[in-house]
Order: sequence, then structure tokens, then C-alpha cells
Amino acid sequence: MKCIHLLRAVWLALILVLAIQSAPAEDNASTQESASQSLLRVNSTNQVYDFFRPWIKKPPFSRRGIGALIDGGRILVTAELVANSTFIELEKPATAEKSTATVERVDYDCNLAVLRPADPAFLSGMQPLALNGPLKVGDQATILQLEPNGDIAQTLGRITSISVGSYPSESGAFLLFKLGAPLQQRDGSFTLPAIRDGRLIGMVMRYDARNQSADVVPTAVIRHFLAELDSPTYQGFARLGMAFAPLRDPQLRSYIGLKEPGGIYVADITPKGSADAAGIKKGDVILAVDGLPLDQDGNYEDQDYGRILFSHLTNTIKHPGAVLPLKIFRNGQTLDIPVTMEVANKDQAISETHLSDEAPKYVILGGLVFIELSRPYLKEWGNKWASSAPQRLVYYDAFQNELPADRGRIIILSQVLPTPDTIGYEDLENIVVTKVNGHPIKSLADLSEAAKKPVNGFQKIEFEEDPKFLFLDAASIQSNADNLKKHYALPSLERL
Amino acid sequence: MSRFHLIAFAFLCTVAALNAVEISKSLIRIEATSQEPNYKTPWSPGDVSSGVGAGFVIDGKRIMTNAHVVSNARFLTISKEGDPNPYLAKVLHIAHDCDLALLTVENPAFFKGTSPLEFGGIPEIESVVSAYGYPLGGTRLSVTRGIVSRIDFQPYSHSGMDSHLAIQIDAAINPGNSGGPVMQNGKVVGVAFQGYSGDIAQNVGYMIPTPVIQRFLTDVKDGHYDRYVDLAVAYRNLFNPASRRALGLEDETTGVQVCSVYSGGAADGIVKPGDVILKIDGHTVSSDGTIPLENEAVPLDEVVERKFKGDKVQLDILRERKPMTLTVPLNEPWPFKLQSNLYDEKPRFVVAGGLVFQPVDQNFMEAHEPSNQRLNYIFDYFIDDELHTNRPEIVVLSNILPDPVNAYAEEFRYSVVDEVNGHRIKRIEDIAAAFEEKADYYVIKFAGGGRPIVLERKAIEEARSRISERYALTAEKNLEK
Repeated sequence: MKCIHLLRAVWLALILVLAIQSAPAEDNASTQESASQSLLRVNSTNQVYDFFRPWIKKPPFSRRGIGALIDGGRILVTAELVANSTFIELEKPATAEKSTATVERVDYDCNLAVLRPADPAFLSGMQPLALNGPLKVGDQATILQLEPNGDIAQTLGRITSISVGSYPSESGAFLLFKLGAPLQQRDGSFTLPAIRDGRLIGMVMRYDARNQSADVVPTAVIRHFLAELDSPTYQGFARLGMAFAPLRDPQLRSYIGLKEPGGIYVADITPKGSADAAGIKKGDVILAVDGLPLDQDGNYEDQDYGRILFSHLTNTIKHPGAVLPLKIFRNGQTLDIPVTMEVANKDQAISETHLSDEAPKYVILGGLVFIELSRPYLKEWGNKWASSAPQRLVYYDAFQNELPADRGRIIILSQVLPTPDTIGYEDLENIVVTKVNGHPIKSLADLSEAAKKPVNGFQKIEFEEDPKFLFLDAASIQSNADNLKKHYALPSLERL
Repeated sequence: MSRFHLIAFAFLCTVAALNAVEISKSLIRIEATSQEPNYKTPWSPGDVSSGVGAGFVIDGKRIMTNAHVVSNARFLTISKEGDPNPYLAKVLHIAHDCDLALLTVENPAFFKGTSPLEFGGIPEIESVVSAYGYPLGGTRLSVTRGIVSRIDFQPYSHSGMDSHLAIQIDAAINPGNSGGPVMQNGKVVGVAFQGYSGDIAQNVGYMIPTPVIQRFLTDVKDGHYDRYVDLAVAYRNLFNPASRRALGLEDETTGVQVCSVYSGGAADGIVKPGDVILKIDGHTVSSDGTIPLENEAVPLDEVVERKFKGDKVQLDILRERKPMTLTVPLNEPWPFKLQSNLYDEKPRFVVAGGLVFQPVDQNFMEAHEPSNQRLNYIFDYFIDDELHTNRPEIVVLSNILPDPVNAYAEEFRYSVVDEVNGHRIKRIEDIAAAFEEKADYYVIKFAGGGRPIVLERKAIEEARSRISERYALTAEKNLEK
């Protein structure tokens, strides 16, 4: 018996070895030739707004990567490459021929963007890359880089894991390949295509040099993005709008009377999200999604990728508007609840988690600067923003789901530009506004409106915390407005 | 407050030698062995350490020193200058909020040859003072000299939460002998107590001035230290012309704007946010909140600082432009001191099923340094956002002693406990009571929702002795401070 087993093992090993060797069946030269006709250097000059001084932009910087030409004359890149771009340039690797480009669509959730050259003729003679199908752990793929002379540098790697993981925007979890590859440091590698058999398997969006591991946005996510792009209205990726906890603890399972295997515990519900609208509640147990049973960690058996987190099914396989039946266990009973998948409504966020390509709003009243709380604002405190930014604001941002649904935006007095009108207020910063002239403030527009109705000649501004309230002389700030603009070189006293 | 580092003074100077001979009859060297509880293992008695400080003899055969010299003391010996014999001493009164303590000696022979020092007033700016103590570099008396640089309110770093009047003197500071007297014209004008560490500022040392010392001595006359009373009001300058007009202040009138009036404090229900304080006990309040007192401009708080439990303070205010006079009885000290350092207290805790529950205070936060956003917010804004009205104590799951019974609880570390089996957890005692109640399951719910931890009673009971033995628990709970 033992011998037979051993033999079988040897055979298995042999087959594996054969398989590995046969994988890069393609000829390197042909890859080089065909891929070189699909690659473009993308040089993007980006400029981010200064959230501390929202009327100015920070100095421009440039990001350079490689875009992949795909069907329809589109150049695929990561969203981060062109985030806050002011100028995008395409360059042919061999000839250094250049064209300006515009962003046709960028989606920061899935970290993808497609560009189009200003002159479509720029792409003539180029060949679009086809998208590859699903891959398995252990499959090989090649990451493409460009040498200064336009030659292609190839780095062979192997898929080490396929899972649902967090993307840079932190706004959701999507399918993610980890590709182990000893990538060399080369200019213009912010975004890189990865191919197999001459077909695109995904875009490299992050590279961890220490672990020699590349994070790849796989074709499953790219296909969803492109399908949305070709639909009449782009909606993007739908969200269930809930947080869950695994249900591994047998004591908890026995307490809630759960006899069936698997299932996850609904720990939090985003107000007005898809799950909320369908009537899913905190404390529900989700046993199955779309007829596919979930294990106690929330994984289902995907036909392409095996055991992965259900969010791949809900946000990537399904498109917005799809109705998914959820099998729920609630108070000892099993229910089927249909959920209509919708994209997250960013306007309903109390504090936006991601803002690119958008000028931050502000209102300046007599030298008091008011802004909306957002995560990009908190991130101005640097890498350790979560502990160094004002803790009340960090708390509001992190736990915004727990605030009343009609809370509206959190408006803060972020700083004071000292003027004769603000004497005595110079030290005020990062305090939350509740009312202006008696009107509750739920947006900067509310504040701007309320400031048009001073009471007895005063602007009364009330805060959640000390000093609780202050007054400004309405007539005086009006007559000093031009001086304020001039002194601090403000292009405008508000941007809504 | 961490930027303050308690360092003893050492102003070595031969000019003061004449005085030093006199002073040496009153100066005391204190050796303290202390035991600081470990808030990470609240059942263990804590590490033992020892230190040296200074003190001086005052009337009534008492020795004055800093509270931080004798905090958490388990064993105290003192010796006189010129008499190397150690004498056993004990703490008579200790005031952590103003960093002062009084000691007694059991052997009456100790005081033979000593003479008690007398107290003076507030020394003038720029006048010379001499400080006496036992800094690093030797065991004998050392004298240093400096001038009075500033008289102002300062945070007292021993508690980390209290600010009182303090006098800044310019002198190099060396660690090792807090509690020594600072003298002028043969009288004590202060007790040396803290300074900045050398990398922040140099030649900045602070002494506790006599108004604070006298208040402490008066407070303990009844044999008990009652702590400082507090208005529990936040106020703010009224420089802004628009705010001044809107609140109805005339041209020459000055005052400050009341911001928060903290619930549970002395002024709660009497003073209102938006009131303008014009006078306090008849002293005119200027726009920055100072009052003239003994030729110095000091914060209006100084009036309350000098009062005691049961005293009253009178406020002349403007409320909605109408002048009023309010009387605030200062009955009890402000109860919510969880953000100040605590001493001479035992950590309180409850262990159930290997889950360690503790009330959160400054000592806890310093020991654990949790990076839990919710806990950090609740702790930081416990007073400002009046979170104490919902929970007088913040009870957290502070640690998990791994055992099969709690195999799935790790993610809940530093979560704030809201409920156990439907009982609201407002104090650590509530946890103990909830687990004493018989139930098949104990369901622990945390702030912010999420999944509960469920422990079966059966499993807790089975694990009980196993956990106690494995983790060397000397007790499963302590509810006493």
C-alpha cells in the first residue's frame, strides 16, 4: 500500500512539474512583438487640493505608468495613476510619439480608469490586448515594464493567492490577485499590465518590494468596469451596505439557536444602503446569498475562483439593480429576503471617505474658515492621522453609521484667518458647527444661506463644543470682505 | 501633560552657606520604597521601587514634602542632616491634586534638635530665593539659588489634570529631590516640585507657593483632606467687539463668556452657558479672565482655589443683558477625575471566563495605550461631551486570558461594555453583579453594536480554576479602590 501511494505521489509530482514547464508555452519574442503594439506610456501630472487651505492646490507631481490598449480604442490604467490629474500624456514606447489624453471614466472604488487620446488616429497601427479568463493559484503570468529605449522588460511571476481584499480607496473589498514576481525598479512603473499567453490578466496597482508581491486588479473586476462603461448609465459597483462578523464561536451559535452550518452575523448596517432598504437588520444571520451557502467566515464556492468572500458575488459578478435573494436566520426562523443591489450614495455620507478630482467646498466668513468633514481632510494630519487628528472628528468619520440618518454633513470651523473681525477667536480650530443665526447647519450651503440672515446685525455661530457660540459683526465682515480676500490672496470667499 | 517631567531641584551655591546652617536643622532626607500597581495585570501587587526626596519640619511635629515623593509608599524612612540614622515615618495626609503631603515620625526623639520652619508670602518677581534639597551627586544637603521669574497658573504634573498657582524660578534642575523648601528671608516661600526636562527648556523650575500650601494645611485641620473644590465651568476671553456688544457689555465693562457648565459640577443649574462673569467675590474680572489679587493678575479660578468644601462663591453676571448675582455653593469636589493620574489606589477588575474587565482611567490608559478609536474618543471626551451622564465609569474588556472558553473573543479587546444579560454596565460593580446572577448564557454586548460575546455558564465554571491556576490569578475580582 505504502509503495503505491508513493508511486502515485511521484506521478503527481511529475505531472506538476510538466504542467509548470509547459505553462509559458509562448515564445518570448512573439510576446514582445504583440504586447509592444498594445502598450503606451502614460504620464499624468496630478495636483491635489490642500484640504487645510481648500482654496489652493498643492504643488503638482507626476505619476508615470503603462497603459494597456483594449478594445474600443480605450487605454486601461489604474485610477490612482490619474487621480486629480491636470494633464495626461500618452507616449508610444518605441517612437516616443506623444498625444494628450482625457479620462473617459475613472472609478476609484475598483481603482480603474480608461483614457482616450485626443486624436484617435494616434492609436492606428496598434493592437488591443484581449482580456484573459479566470486564473488559479499557481498559474504563471508576466508583468510588463518598459526599458528607456521602448523594449519590453518581462518579469515572470506566479499567482500566490486569490482573495477578496481591500483596494486603495478603502471603499470596498474586491477580488485581488497576489502575484509573486521579482519586479525590478524601473521608471514609469506606477501602473503595469500583467499578461498570460498574450492576454491581459490584470493591472498591477501595488508592489511590495520586500515580499516581491504585486497586487493585481484582475479581469473579473475589469470586465465589470467595462460592462458598466458600455451600459447606458455608468453606475459602478453595488454595495450590500453592511458589516459582518464571522460566526465561528460555537457558544454564540448555540445561544442564537443556529443549527445549520455556516452563516455570518450582521454587525452593522449602513443607513439607506441596499441591505437597510431590504430590511436586513443588525443581528441577522446571513446563511446564503443568491442560493449559494456561506460558510462561517462569509465565503461561498465561486465557480471560477473557489472559496472566496461573498462580496465578489454581490459587488462584482452582479451589477447595480440586480435582485439577490438572501437567506436570513432571524429569531429562530429562516427567511428569504430579496435585496436590490444599489451603489453607495455618496451624497448621503456624513463624512466622505474618498474625494478625488473634486474641489473641496468651503465658506469663509469674516476670516472664519468653514469646511465639511471628510476623510481626506483628516488625512492631512499625516500617516498617523487616526491618532493625531482631533479625536472627535476621527470618531465622527469612523462611526458615521451610528449618527442619526438625518445628521447631514458635519460642518467644522477648521481655522481662523485673523482679521479685525475675529479678534479673540484666533485660537479656534476644528470645532463642529451646530447653528448659524438659529438655523441648524447640515451642509455648507445651509451655512452660506443662514449667514445671509444676520440677527440684530450679528452673525451668531453656535458650536457643539467650547466656546459654544460666538458673534461676528455682520456689517463689518461685509465691508471687510474685499480686504480679507486681498490680504490672504483668496480667490473667493466660498466654493459650494 | 506628559511634557512636564517631575524633576527635583538642585541649586548649588556657596553664597547661601550661612542660611544653610540654620536650615539644616529643619531639612529632612526621605527614602521611599513604593509599589506601583500594574494595570495590565491588575491582580498582581506591582513592582517595588525606591527613591529619594526632600522634606522639612513644620509646626506640630510634621514634615512637609511632595505627594509624588511618597505616593504608593510601602516603607518610608527619613533622616536629618548630620544624623545618618534612619527613622520610620508614615504619611499623615496626602494631596495628589496639589502634590503636597505631610508625614509623621513615630519616634519622638527624631524631632530633638530640629526647628520648624515658618511660611512667608508670595515673593516678588526678580527677588532671590534659595532652594534646599538632596539632588543627584551626593547624599548631603545641597543649596541652589535663583530668582523668581514668573507667577502664574501651571498644570501640576503629578495629577496631570489640576492647575494651580505656581512660581517659576530660574535654576538648573536635577532629578532626585522634590519636596525641599525654597526660602527667602528665613521663611519658606515655596516647595520645589517640578521642572521641564532639559531637552525642552533650561533653567525653568517650579515651586508650590504658599497660598497653595496654606490651603492644604487648612484643609487637613479637620483630620481629613477633602480635595479642591471646583466651579466646573469653562469660560473664554471676551476681547471680540462683536461678541461684547451682542452680549450687552458696555464700553468699560469687562468679563468672560461662560462656555460649558459641566453637569455634576458645583455650578450646574446655577450658571448657564452664555452668561458673562463680571465679578467673582467682588473682584472685577478682566476680558482675559484674570483678577487682581495681591498685586498680581491671576486667573479668576484662584478665588475658588482658596475655598473649601461647604464654602460659597458669589458671581456677578450678565444673563441676556440683565445683571444678576449668583451664589454657587462649593459642596463637593468635581467627581469626574478619571483623566488624572491616580495614586494609592488598587486597580479594580473582574475576571470571568478569562475575560478581564476594568474601569478605564488615566492609569489604565497609560499602561495599555489602547489604539481603539471608540475608546479613545470616549476617554478624551468623557467630560467635554458629558459622556459620564450615561456611564459614570467606562468599563472595557481589557484583556483575554486565552482559554477554550474565550477562543473567539480576541477581536473585542478594548471594546467598551454596554450590557451583560440586559443589565446596563455603568460601573465595574455592575459586571461583577451580572456574572453573579444565575443564567445559562452570559451575553456581553459592546458599545457600537456588533456581535455579542456569548459565554456558557457551564463553560465558565469549568474554566474557572484552570484559568486561575494557569495565569496565577491571586483574585478573580477587586472592586475596592
